[in-house]
Amino acid sequence: MKTATQVKQASLLVLLLGFGFLTGCSGIKTYPNNLDKNLSITTTTESGSFFSSVNAALDIYLVNRDCSLEYQGTIKLDKATVTVGIPTDKSSYLVFGFASSSFLANSSGSISQETLLKPRKGYRYKINVSYLDDIYNVEIRETHPRKSTSRDVDTAGLNTCT
Amino acid sequence: MKYLLIPFGIIFLALSGCATHHPQNAEEFRQAAPGAFMGKKETFEVDRSYKDVAQTFKKKAPQCLNIRVKTTSQTTTSYQVLVTRYKPTVMVSKQRAELHVQQHHETGVLKVTKEPEGGYYLVVTDAYPVSKNKTKIVMYRPSMGYDVMIKAIKGWATGKNMGCPDMTKI
Repeated sequence: MKTATQVKQASLLVLLLGFGFLTGCSGIKTYPNNLDKNLSITTTTESGSFFSSVNAALDIYLVNRDCSLEYQGTIKLDKATVTVGIPTDKSSYLVFGFASSSFLANSSGSISQETLLKPRKGYRYKINVSYLDDIYNVEIRETHPRKSTSRDVDTAGLNTCT
Repeated sequence: MKYLLIPFGIIFLALSGCATHHPQNAEEFRQAAPGAFMGKKETFEVDRSYKDVAQTFKKKAPQCLNIRVKTTSQTTTSYQVLVTRYKPTVMVSKQRAELHVQQHHETGVLKVTKEPEGGYYLVVTDAYPVSKNKTKIVMYRPSMGYDVMIKAIKGWATGKNMGCPDMTKI
């Protein structure tokens, strides 16, 4: 007869295996997010219908000198504000993804807004991410904690990488 | 269900005879859309300078509408996969700023008429300067469907919403 501890251990093993299977097979890994937090991402999502939902997430890639990409991980944008740290003075490629699904129509879709971003040391970046009634937007504003000036940063595709 | 409208629409156009010749350029589309089945011409003015409207079209159209979309829909009796490539073109002169959107189905839709290079014309939007802070917008567009794209283009014209349309919802 198995003890309660053995049952707990078996359950934990199954959970870990399941988690490992899901994360391993999907190729999605959680972004370590252990650098100085220079991005503050505010997210608003509304699918516009009771019968559908939309989820936002951010994929972070490191951009190499030859403009090739190295996937660093994904952060779910499931809170009103999420702070993220990415390397300064080198380019990162940020992919803001929106996955929507409709329960009634049994359909799903995903769309993304990508941008290159090379954060400057000491600067902070406020990013407003929204998906409202099938219209999505990503707005980036660069600020400095000790300066009063700030500026909008245009999104830039990978084709602008040099 | 929305996805099924696209092939049905094209089939209906073919059957009704009006699709023996699809518009092959923007000017032909301007001529054909107002009188076509499921076509419409819409005119309105925005409180925004012509320069700003033109700049927004130039910035947002490539960012939002140069896109390839794969959609799947499934019911108990059908499963459909559509792959669609959208192509925006923006042309700006002193007299007029034009935003064209073309649509090319890579899979899932049978083509029954000659398709222009870049795809069938879906929307043509023209902006004309009226005064310092007023611009006239003329849209030649479908009267049904594509609501999210129409809404986005109107948002760019008015300056009230700079977001991109979720083209998977078309």
